[in-house]
Amino acid sequence: MEIKTEQFSEVAKKTLENAQSFAFLKLRANFVRTRRETALSTFPDAVAAQAYGAAIRAEAIARLPELLEEFEKNALANGARVFWARDAKEANEYIVHLAKERGIEYVTKGKSMVTEELGLNEALEKNGVKAWETDLGEFIIQLLNLPPFHIVGPAINIPVEKVRDLFLEKVNLKEPTLDPVQLGYAARLFLRDKFHRTRMGITGVNIAVAETGTLINVENEGNIRFSKSSPRTQISVMSLEKVVPTLEDALHLVRLLCRNCTGQKLSAYISMDNRPKKNDEIDGPEELIIVMVDNGRSKIYQDRLARHAMRCIRCGACLSSCPVYRQIGGYPYGWAYSGPMGQILNPLLLGLERTQDLYRATTLCGACKAVCPTGIDHPNLFLQYRAKDVLGEETFQGKKRPPMERVFFRVWTWAVTRSWFWNRASRMVRPFINKEAREGMLRRVRGPFEGWFRSRDLPAMAEKTFHDRWEEMQKVEGRKTEARR
Amino acid sequence: MEVISLFIPCTVDLFLPHIGEATVSLLGRAGVRLIYHKEQTCCGQPAINAGYREHAKKAAKHFIRVFGDDEKVVSPSGSCVGMVKHHYPELLAEEPEWRRRAEELSLRIYELSQYLVDIRKIENVGASFEGKVAYHESCHILRGLGVSEQPKRLIKAVKGAKLVSLNAADSCCGFGGEFANHYPDISESMVKDKVEDYLSSGAGVLLVSEPGCLFNIGGFISRNHPGKKVMHLASFLTENHKTMNNTR
Repeated sequence: MEIKTEQFSEVAKKTLENAQSFAFLKLRANFVRTRRETALSTFPDAVAAQAYGAAIRAEAIARLPELLEEFEKNALANGARVFWARDAKEANEYIVHLAKERGIEYVTKGKSMVTEELGLNEALEKNGVKAWETDLGEFIIQLLNLPPFHIVGPAINIPVEKVRDLFLEKVNLKEPTLDPVQLGYAARLFLRDKFHRTRMGITGVNIAVAETGTLINVENEGNIRFSKSSPRTQISVMSLEKVVPTLEDALHLVRLLCRNCTGQKLSAYISMDNRPKKNDEIDGPEELIIVMVDNGRSKIYQDRLARHAMRCIRCGACLSSCPVYRQIGGYPYGWAYSGPMGQILNPLLLGLERTQDLYRATTLCGACKAVCPTGIDHPNLFLQYRAKDVLGEETFQGKKRPPMERVFFRVWTWAVTRSWFWNRASRMVRPFINKEAREGMLRRVRGPFEGWFRSRDLPAMAEKTFHDRWEEMQKVEGRKTEARR
Repeated sequence: MEVISLFIPCTVDLFLPHIGEATVSLLGRAGVRLIYHKEQTCCGQPAINAGYREHAKKAAKHFIRVFGDDEKVVSPSGSCVGMVKHHYPELLAEEPEWRRRAEELSLRIYELSQYLVDIRKIENVGASFEGKVAYHESCHILRGLGVSEQPKRLIKAVKGAKLVSLNAADSCCGFGGEFANHYPDISESMVKDKVEDYLSSGAGVLLVSEPGCLFNIGGFISRNHPGKKVMHLASFLTENHKTMNNTR
């Protein structure tokens, strides 16, 4: 998948100018929010349930190396094969090799974010293996050659008319229709044929259970189950942080995932598999291959602060809650992961230098933190990334800030710790700031403030600061006290 | 008589001193003795937000030197209170003595409405206003400090004032400090939504308790909807003052 994180502002502007997606984003946000809240209210104590999820994920990440080893041991004992991929290249090469070795023409894919991260489809197609996305949303954006707009609903922004035209052209839709059921049926017929003859299925993993070696997938369309159960070869690609200690932990996360993601108590399909089919069983894949993807995660794990980001279970609640995402949608984030969860993950996976906008284009409003079922403190992580960037921290390719900014903060610090200088300096800059003040308001200030003044005014600097006024109040008080005597 | 130390954020000191005066008036009427340290400057938010943690640490230490011995500190800004309350202990985590002082201070610092309602048990400050008002839930007050009921109670107790509901009241207005200047396309779109919600609420005035939101919403209104009103809660409560009543 092409990385476009550096075009954040440009792409954001385009979305803001697109009235249709703009209106849609707002409409959807309210709908999703209500659904989520209703679903969460089915817990006896929603706050406790969310906190329990945070505790599970915190423990899982703290014990990550040990849990991964336990998971591998149990998966192997169950009869699965396990491959550890250091990076995207290794993972892709291995999967391509598996496909080639088996003479595979095409694979069916269940919806998975990690394979977007890896750019697996491109790698497969480059080697002559067609990858069919079978999640309806992923299928649509694959045909349109677009990135996902939302991590859970990749094509939610595509108008139905566009889907109709696309399906007439590429999916054997016979009659033009806007009926979503008929459109869905056309996709279903098309994909059934792919499933019917598939020999290799590739899916992601929502949760991996260390104590049992179980892989859990959560979905609503059944395509992941199909991709896992129909072909001879099942490949499950999981990023390292997906593991939790016990099946009980996993079940609580499933409850949280469904409620926070789509506002359901449980999704339509939840599949759990441990192993390939046994000789005397009539169905199921003959081989189960688990690809464990590091791709920078060991490095993240080493950093005690950044590690928090690995708690994410990809529910997408933070996207719908985010006031910035609600304005600009998923494209500006420029990679597999979007919204606040993308803003905390992409900089760690891609480096701080080319993801500057992701951890800066936030008001630190904390709406993401408030809904997160795993207790991630997004605003704090953004501040930490900014600090790493200022220091030019090499581990995550911090860039260091422009010299002017560094000088500014040095002077600022000097002033802040000396009130006499602070007060004198503010009196000195006042005439320059207030130069064009009209009726106590500034409509423009020279310097790097165009962004603010484009559509906003600012009160002029007060001729008498509070500081001055307090001194006057004290004098008046003093006179009053004296008069009383 | 309780002694309260006034923490006037630099934004209020330099740009919005009338909010400081309103704070003095409200607290004075609440029957407390006020002290104001002239050595106070800025809490350090600009530095920590820009990633300059070492610089923010110096500001934090200065603040603790100035306010560290005060019994209670009160401020008309939730984000500056949040900076002291949540970020100082974390910034100074590796310096045990400073950390201890930061943690102690964090227990003694309050946002204005929080202090009036939770500590002083005051809701009716004797203000009167004829008409409808709306309240914007600033992010750092609502989610940062968990303060939401307190300002609304103060508003509801104003004689003649009717608090109307504001659509997406808890949605960020798009300020975010440097964010507003650096990402004007997104920020403008956010503040535009906020102002549209205010206009359609039917309220005659929009109240905020955060200087940052006042800059942003007020600045947008000044440019695009002159005549419409947005005010800091403290200013609103000191207009048309009568006598202060304790609710308990």
